[in-house]
Amino acid sequence: MSNSQTSIRKILIANRGEIALRILRACRELGIATVAVYSDADRAALHVLEADEAYRLGPAPATESYLRGDLILDVARKSGAQAIHPGYGFLSENASFAEACERAGIKFIGPPADAMRSLGSKTRARQAADAAGMPRTPGSVRGLASLEEAHAVAEEIGYPVMLKAAAGGGGKGMRAVFSSDDLSAAFPSAASEAERAFGSGEVYLEKLIERPRHIEIQILADEHGNCVSLGERECSVQRRHQKVIEEAPSAVVDEELRRRMGDAAVRLAKSAGYTNAGTVEFLVDEERNFYFLEMNTRLQVEHPVTELVTGLDLVHLQIRIAQGEPLPFKQEDIRLRGHAIECRVYAEDPDNGFFPSPGKITRLLQPGGPGIREDSGIYEGWVVPLDYDPMLSKLIAFAPTREAAIARLLRALDEYVIGGIRSNLGLFGRILSDDDFKAARIDTDYLDRLLAANGPALETGGSVDAAALIAAALFESMRPANGNGRNGASANGAKADANGWKHAARREGLRA
Amino acid sequence: MILQIEMNGELRQVELTQVEGGQYRASIDGQPVIDVEAQMLRPGVLSLHIAGHAYRCVLEESAEGSAIYLGGRRLVYRVDDPRSLKSRRSRHGGAEGPKPVTAPMPGRVVRVLVNVGDTVEAHQGIVVIEAMKMQNELKSAKAGKIAQIRVEPGGTVAAGDVLAIVE
Repeated sequence: MSNSQTSIRKILIANRGEIALRILRACRELGIATVAVYSDADRAALHVLEADEAYRLGPAPATESYLRGDLILDVARKSGAQAIHPGYGFLSENASFAEACERAGIKFIGPPADAMRSLGSKTRARQAADAAGMPRTPGSVRGLASLEEAHAVAEEIGYPVMLKAAAGGGGKGMRAVFSSDDLSAAFPSAASEAERAFGSGEVYLEKLIERPRHIEIQILADEHGNCVSLGERECSVQRRHQKVIEEAPSAVVDEELRRRMGDAAVRLAKSAGYTNAGTVEFLVDEERNFYFLEMNTRLQVEHPVTELVTGLDLVHLQIRIAQGEPLPFKQEDIRLRGHAIECRVYAEDPDNGFFPSPGKITRLLQPGGPGIREDSGIYEGWVVPLDYDPMLSKLIAFAPTREAAIARLLRALDEYVIGGIRSNLGLFGRILSDDDFKAARIDTDYLDRLLAANGPALETGGSVDAAALIAAALFESMRPANGNGRNGASANGAKADANGWKHAARREGLRA
Repeated sequence: MILQIEMNGELRQVELTQVEGGQYRASIDGQPVIDVEAQMLRPGVLSLHIAGHAYRCVLEESAEGSAIYLGGRRLVYRVDDPRSLKSRRSRHGGAEGPKPVTAPMPGRVVRVLVNVGDTVEAHQGIVVIEAMKMQNELKSAKAGKIAQIRVEPGGTVAAGDVLAIVE
């Protein structure tokens, strides 16, 4: 190691759930001590159990805990952590927090604040894309000042168009507009939704790409001016602009397109002085033209599929870059091998309008075996809090071919049981068995079409086989006798009533 | 022992006799007897052997009831008690009488959209609950008048809690 490099011996992980655990594991492997932080809802979470040190931040709401940069920096100072890994979400793309870390002399494991600022706003990122000479969707590169300006831009690029929030994410403040009549209503409503969600009503217009694929490029940049692209991830299977399945490589990206998209992503990162891990998102149309969408200035949820096909550990590399080490490889050393697919397992009920389903996990059987990776933060007995996003785990399969990876995932899904709360596990079986998915005929509207075509129900109906009935009878007969319950399910009615009664009694008790 | 089990909407009768240890004999709906060998691996996980076939059966219990996971399927069931059948029907069926609006999941109350005494339509939103960064509008099952509101904005609710009652 040269003198410009500092060796990090302790890292504070400013996150929770599976990503906190994933970062913690990387630290262990590198011999780095870990500091966890937690809210009151997470005292019994796995990231708190597994860390070397753990400190309480505050009450359950994120605004009083995981978003409290000031408290997190206090913990970093108190514990002597030399660096903070923000994970994804929470403070990961907060430039002010990155700056505060820098001022406190604590390394923020991510890009510098100014690079984050210039790429974090979608309009500023579009200007940066123009400066870097990369293709983007036609449209405005600044916020729209008025409805008149919106009409003028829309006429120029031609309908249909997309209205988007400059500070946006997750589909908020976003509207597809098909005519100038619609624009008059959509413009104020998108602006006010953006204002409510992000505290900024800035919206801009871009040409709507029909039936696009969402394909993104992972990049890594060190602090010595080296930057490489690590191939693409296809994330077209989405519901309400939230990714559901991601895979690498994409079925429509060949070596030549991969090189052109990778070069464009690297040019953008270099032009903004970007360092550490980042992702440049593109839309790809039916003619395989690609358009810059936005840059995510952090490690992404779906990073494991890139790790599997490149054989690299992105969190290890993030830490090494933060220590000032140069990238240990060059672009030409990057080789993609095999195929990886990731399912985002959420606590939500696909049979009931995708309602969130927090609560206690009463039964958990986790899959394993060749080519299966499960990044999760759950265990049997864990109560999934209602305060945070509903992701439970990520199930990832790696195999030599896409077909084999699909078969492997289906096999692992059969092994996987999450009981006590609803999850979207059943939905994956349906997607992975669908002919269009198997043929990689996917775009960002694919999943909505699939759900609309067959309705949400999957496993209702069908005959019940003898084994299931006998199993139910056996479980009931082995149920330990307790005063009221002759059996489990006179149970259902009685149990619910008893719960209601208990709650009522508790409320009365509190009042007294 | 004889159990009436309602599974996936079908009411079936299972007669189960323990021979010895993990050996059982079972008969479904009076059909010929099947030999069964069962081994409980750990609570809720059962290895079942029937006529040379091996099954992994997993039991799930939650506030909503019980279910068996078998061969990638989730089969909701309940043991039927004939004596409670009538009361259950009156509890769940028909639009007669007061109807509660209940929380399908735990969450925080964001908004109450009606006042006591308001007249509401069937499927009209009554209360908005937030859980896991998502807001969900809970609707009245029937048209009627709001008799009670049991929650306030900012309060937390558990799955199954009654939020309001529509008469």
